[in-house]
Amino acid sequence: MRPSREALAGTEERSDALVRVRPGRGLAVSVRTRTGPMYEEHIASLVRDALNEYGVEGAHVEVEEAGAYDHVILARLEAALSRSVGSEEPFRSPLPPPDRPPTSRNRPRRTRLYVPGGNARLLAFADSLRPDCLLLDLEDAVAPSEKDSARFLVRRALATMGFEAPELWVRINPLNAGGADDIALVAAGHPHGICLPKAEDPSQVLALADLLSSVEGLYSVPWTLWIMPIIESPRGVLAAADIAGASERVVGLAFGAEDYTREVGAQRSWEALLWARSQLVASAKASGVQASDTVFPNVEDEEGLREEARRARELGFDGKGVIHPHQIAIVHDAFAPSAAEVAWARGVVEEAANEGRGVVAHEGQMIDRPVLERAKRILEQLPEGTDAD
Amino acid sequence: MPTNAVGREIPGTVAGRPLRPYQGAFATVPAGRRAGGPLKTIHPRANKVAPSLEDAIRRSGLRDGMTISFHHCFRDGDRLVLQVVEACARLGIGDLRLFPTALFPCHEPLVRHIEDGVLTRIEGSMNGPIGAFVSQGGKLREPPILRSHGGRWRAVACGEVEIDVAFIAASEADPWGNANGIHGPHACGPISFSVVDSWCANHVVVVTDHLVPYPAVPPTVEQGYVDQVAVVDQVGDPAGIVTGTLRITRSPTQLKIAELAVRAVEAAGLVRDGMSFQAGAGGISLAALEFLARRMRATGTRAAFAIGGTTRYLVAMLNEGLVGTILDGQAFDEEAITSLRVNPRHQPITPGFYADYNSLGCATYMLDFAFLGGTEVDLDFNVNVNTHSDGQLLHGIGGHQDVASGAGVTVITLPTLRGRVPMIRDRVTTVTTPGEVVDLVVTERGIAVNPRRPDLAADLRRAGLPVRTLAEMKEAADRLVGEGKKPVFGDEIVGVIQWRDGTVIDVVRKVEGWR
Repeated sequence: MRPSREALAGTEERSDALVRVRPGRGLAVSVRTRTGPMYEEHIASLVRDALNEYGVEGAHVEVEEAGAYDHVILARLEAALSRSVGSEEPFRSPLPPPDRPPTSRNRPRRTRLYVPGGNARLLAFADSLRPDCLLLDLEDAVAPSEKDSARFLVRRALATMGFEAPELWVRINPLNAGGADDIALVAAGHPHGICLPKAEDPSQVLALADLLSSVEGLYSVPWTLWIMPIIESPRGVLAAADIAGASERVVGLAFGAEDYTREVGAQRSWEALLWARSQLVASAKASGVQASDTVFPNVEDEEGLREEARRARELGFDGKGVIHPHQIAIVHDAFAPSAAEVAWARGVVEEAANEGRGVVAHEGQMIDRPVLERAKRILEQLPEGTDAD
Repeated sequence: MPTNAVGREIPGTVAGRPLRPYQGAFATVPAGRRAGGPLKTIHPRANKVAPSLEDAIRRSGLRDGMTISFHHCFRDGDRLVLQVVEACARLGIGDLRLFPTALFPCHEPLVRHIEDGVLTRIEGSMNGPIGAFVSQGGKLREPPILRSHGGRWRAVACGEVEIDVAFIAASEADPWGNANGIHGPHACGPISFSVVDSWCANHVVVVTDHLVPYPAVPPTVEQGYVDQVAVVDQVGDPAGIVTGTLRITRSPTQLKIAELAVRAVEAAGLVRDGMSFQAGAGGISLAALEFLARRMRATGTRAAFAIGGTTRYLVAMLNEGLVGTILDGQAFDEEAITSLRVNPRHQPITPGFYADYNSLGCATYMLDFAFLGGTEVDLDFNVNVNTHSDGQLLHGIGGHQDVASGAGVTVITLPTLRGRVPMIRDRVTTVTTPGEVVDLVVTERGIAVNPRRPDLAADLRRAGLPVRTLAEMKEAADRLVGEGKKPVFGDEIVGVIQWRDGTVIDVVRKVEGWR
């Protein structure tokens, strides 16, 4: 493979690298690094190895790094090369699989933290954060001209970084606007699930499910990739029940209030969105999947977030989107069952266990199956590390 | 070459001076008596005010080969060191030993005077350019000796370092040399580092830009020890005190480290009424203070005292009643200086009071816990604060050794990676503080507990905190950046790192190449 034109990828920002590929004779690699001799040769041989592996010839590569991790440099190199040869195809080979445990369908998903997929520095920060779901965003957080570079970076980040968050998601672009290319790359990094934006019709979910089936085999993904459709339009809200039930892969519906509010011409208030939220919760629950509320955009307003999360939980939501690390603890707190609820649930479960099969009561309330289920659900929501005593 | 108790090769002598190898944090038994300056007297109504700084230098009897001392309370805003060294150059005095408590980037012009032979030796902390310059080797007649706050006080008080002329910058002084740093147009905080210099130097010059009628109070430096008073246009710029990151960090990584650090000491049962702590002025330490204040409010607990470096964040805790007393060796912003002026519970202290090894009481020994930083930590919990992984000597010790050896639980906070440079190493480039006085290392990837403290490990596990080994965290970070080259060190010694008792815990050698 020979680069046919000069191309550039990456940035000069901290934790990132700028990679320039130029057509030329033979292979030449030059590295400028902030740490002087410490990593110069390491980075040069990293780049050379990658060029050899991809069978690149006739290329001069310049790397300027500002504290970038190895996989960031490789991702920027791949983006620059693909721009230079005019195709992403040659760079879709499988990566060494990450060591990552699977997740269960109904695990707690109190928070899904959006992290811009094209931003190396924020991805580095995200490594040690612990939302229930970490969502690497290729859609709204990435400028149109950087979509390709971002999907290379997300692919490498997924394959390389440990990520403390227990579940990893990628929000792709709509399938007709780059989403298929997103999946063709990022599946190699073995995320747990894919967020589908602007879901308006069950056929979109089915199309995505088909794509996922094919890449799962190609990249030996060791689990079934979940789908979380994001409902963010009036059409989507009306079709929510069908979308939730479209595929076994769907584990939850997420609400996106920004676009919805704009499209219906409403103000963003609790009242204006109440019907859509209720409809979304009912649609999700009708198919036995989770419902996740929209993000709270004002990161300074902790009280506002706490209150909105509390109300969302009251409505039946299982979690909420967050856009800043400090929102994680607030939302986890809001979705934690209260002490009274926990005590009640433990009482119910205990009574039920003691009495065997018969109809029993706890504090004067008859315990039938729905009551017992609700009690068990509350106990399942307890954060990890909470002892049973 | 013999190795010391942390396994570092320490030569028997350097530039003809014998070095005592480090034996253990509290192994040295001091002997001998305290040092002091020469006896002198004065007649009533004598005049101590010199016509100019240059006259004061001339009258002090300063000659080639002598030692001059300074404090660093103006930090990067200091104007005195350069004025004195330049005056010495004009007067043709050279071959001087500079003995400041610390140098900062503002002192970069000293490079010229080192090259010209006005300064041939430096003993003191070197933050930034002077350190980088000295790291090149061959610049000084003897390698610099670095001491902690307590170590420097001890060295003067026991006569290890004899000061010929002490120059003491004072934001306010009277004609007899009573001097302080909390009043005047350019207040800089307690100037208590210099108290021992005033006691022991052969000659003492107080330099001020704000001469007030007798008596200037409080007399931090006392008239009885002061030979001369010199007035200059400006001794320092308080704006330069606020260097580095005196704001709470916004980095999610650093915030996570700060929060984990506070949860760790809370899990250890140390967030309780009557507790005591130290937190410095770094980004992580300030964030930890904020988290600690939150936990104290939530649990309704009050600290008996905190040791500064003081910032507005600690002052706010004092004013809110969360902290009973601040014992303050150094002010890091204007709010701290103001508080020193108005609040009797905000008490200035000397390094002798909080950190001198040769004493019967260090305030740091009363600390329940402390949050400290570092440039590297290794698998034996040794901490480096002096050099970077490239071997450059860029930072002083500050109070790191003194606080770490005193606190009940010493918590080192640092990220596993700075840029792409790993901060957990197999062996630190330089040992500043030995692992035997370090209890916890907190990174964004978890908390490592020194095997000496199984009690803490149990507390942390019980609280559900992420206890990891340093090796595990190192591996996770190394995986992201691969293996880099390490500096190859030659024989030339460019810095001697003293432990606070005067023994040598490590030496810094010149970088000859990379491997």
